[in-house]
Amino acid sequence: MKEGFRQSMAWLHSWAGLLVGWILFAVFLTGTAAYLRPEISYWMRPELALSRPGPADAEVAVKAMQGMAPNSPTWFITLPSERETTTRVFWREGGGRGRGRGFREAVLDPATGHPVEARETMGGEFFYRFHFQLHYMSVLWGRWIVSICAMFMLVAIVSGIITHRRIFADFFTFRPGKGQRSWLDGHNVCAVLALPYHLMITYTGLVLFMLMVMPWGIDRAYPGGRQAFNAEAFGSAPPRPRANTPAPLAPVLPLVEEAQRRWEGGRVGRIVVANPGDANATIQLVRADSERISYNPQSLTFDGPTGALIQDSGEGRPAAEVRGWMYGLHIGRFAGPFLRGLFLLSGLAGTVMVATGCVLWAVKMRQQAAKKGRVGFGTRLVEHLNIAAIAGLPLAMAAFLWANRLLPVGMEERAAWEVHVFFIIWGLCFVHPLFRRGRQAWVEQFAAGAAAFALLPALNALVTQRHLLATLAEGDIVRAGFDLGLLACAALLGVLAWKVARHQPATARARRPAPKAALMPAEAAE
Amino acid sequence: MIAFAAALSYAGFTALCLAMARHHEQVFRSRAVPAGRRRVLTALGWGLLALSVVPVVMELGWGLGLVLWLGLLTATAMPLAMLLNYAPRVALALAVTPVLTGIGLLL
Amino acid sequence: MMRAGLPVPSAASLRARLPPGAELRRAGGIVLRILAGVGGGYAVAALSTTVLSLGLPMQRAEAVLTATMASFAVYAGAVVWAFAARNAWRACAGIAGTAALLVAVLYLLQGHLP
Repeated sequence: MKEGFRQSMAWLHSWAGLLVGWILFAVFLTGTAAYLRPEISYWMRPELALSRPGPADAEVAVKAMQGMAPNSPTWFITLPSERETTTRVFWREGGGRGRGRGFREAVLDPATGHPVEARETMGGEFFYRFHFQLHYMSVLWGRWIVSICAMFMLVAIVSGIITHRRIFADFFTFRPGKGQRSWLDGHNVCAVLALPYHLMITYTGLVLFMLMVMPWGIDRAYPGGRQAFNAEAFGSAPPRPRANTPAPLAPVLPLVEEAQRRWEGGRVGRIVVANPGDANATIQLVRADSERISYNPQSLTFDGPTGALIQDSGEGRPAAEVRGWMYGLHIGRFAGPFLRGLFLLSGLAGTVMVATGCVLWAVKMRQQAAKKGRVGFGTRLVEHLNIAAIAGLPLAMAAFLWANRLLPVGMEERAAWEVHVFFIIWGLCFVHPLFRRGRQAWVEQFAAGAAAFALLPALNALVTQRHLLATLAEGDIVRAGFDLGLLACAALLGVLAWKVARHQPATARARRPAPKAALMPAEAAE
Repeated sequence: MIAFAAALSYAGFTALCLAMARHHEQVFRSRAVPAGRRRVLTALGWGLLALSVVPVVMELGWGLGLVLWLGLLTATAMPLAMLLNYAPRVALALAVTPVLTGIGLLL
Repeated sequence: MMRAGLPVPSAASLRARLPPGAELRRAGGIVLRILAGVGGGYAVAALSTTVLSLGLPMQRAEAVLTATMASFAVYAGAVVWAFAARNAWRACAGIAGTAALLVAVLYLLQGHLP
């Protein structure tokens, strides 16, 4: 009975993990990259100069919006920060046609308020968005798929913990070069040592989309719609209707100073202006999300024309605050450089955990097939997908950066084409193993990835002025660090390629000493 | 302070490892861990781990401190798991770092 | 012991020993558990969210947030239960029983069926 229980948990663990393993791997890796979203975006726009946030940023941005979108019902302005060197704005399109869903966006130079003179690119935003809504499909579909995968992940984690009885005894056990056992050790070490992170990131990821995937409570408790919920839960003021009487907007700088005083030096991160130019306009200042773990917006809302304070939303009630914490922990924007490094490390551990899990599955299938003397279609399929999903993705990510440097600057649909290149290369990685069976495909894709990453700093030096020597001399640590990081990625992939190339197939070795060993509990053998 | 906490947690994990036969063997070439030593090492390990939370929380407060501490545990345990395999003696030697960083703090 | 755990390799070896009927029963049991876990589990999670949203003694929005945040733990628990139960019928019965209980509480809370 006891063994039966553990067996079914193991079954659940391996299937829940495998079925969505490839998507989970992509989500983990791109999600980990998303911790560096501003840095990636900055590197991908080499035209941008190094700039520091200044006190006039808010004023400049609002002036720019008055010029660009005077009739828009809402502006959303994200101010630059230590990590973000541009002002990002987006706004709802106005002008008669009802509450149109059309959004437009622009990236502004914080000093001048003009759109930045930079190549068109999604930058780090691509990895960030891909990791929760995928691509080439409606945003809703993508989010549902990723949420379902996250639920599988949660089940896999819980059943994995139950299965892994000797969780403490095996805490540090890693025995390299022992075939299947090494894969299992690697999987366990990555899983157990970063377990708090894995649980946190999976659960909080689900919480981010909870009202989409689990709408039953809110729909029943708020039959009238979600506006009432938002007001009660987050204290957000109900939107004021347009008065249709023009009135100029009050200067924003004094409001920013007021906010900084109330938040004891806290910075304004975002500005939301509703009905600008109208007598009923409101200006909402939202505190920067780098300053608190909780993502619950701490905000001040002012009357547009007079600048009088209408509402001060501070900390929420306990549950709202818990949600804010979960949200904040997931996106990790509160983290300073050191903690961000720890998040990156844990994210990579998660990525490796998923990858080793998928490989482990294939290795076991292989052993079983070797005993039967026939390799089934399922085994081949899993092996094939493993190669393309695990070794192919880093190569595709490097290709995305290559496209950023190589596509002509004035090209039509340039940003979209960078993404197309990413998927074309990744797609080729799915074809490639058809012609190169087994290990060869692994080695070639890892090696191609290593070469692609290693040559990026060189390419960068050829086609831009922002090469490593220049950035180091200027003290542009973000770009210099990024180039060095690319080299580190290259080294990592190179080591993987080398390891796989000189690896002795596990099945061949495992079979030699004792044919029965593969099936027997390893503990019995110990 | 953070370096001190990292060193404490590394030393704590090392002590816990040495209390386990498999890792005891990796470092000392002997699988048998004397019962007394095992008890001392286990207590020492958990104690050091518990202690390592103190400097982080003192420095950063509970919220941020605990988050960073959990990250530190992962970040110190990973290299230990690798070192035990490839350079067990180095793994042991690094466990004296709390003393060094502690002295550094005092100075 | 985990090494012994994963029954992926053992499935094939079992296949050789078991009579054909048993193999079919095993597959049927797995399908039932999947249905109970994935479908039934979601139903239980959704019901528990609704019940807690309406029933928790706190402000309405707080109750909704608490209930919805907890729902994934409930879902995961239900899936694990569906696979942990001694046999597939027990799994189905457990999930169905929990769902029925939650429906009953919901009926008490709002005076009519969902």
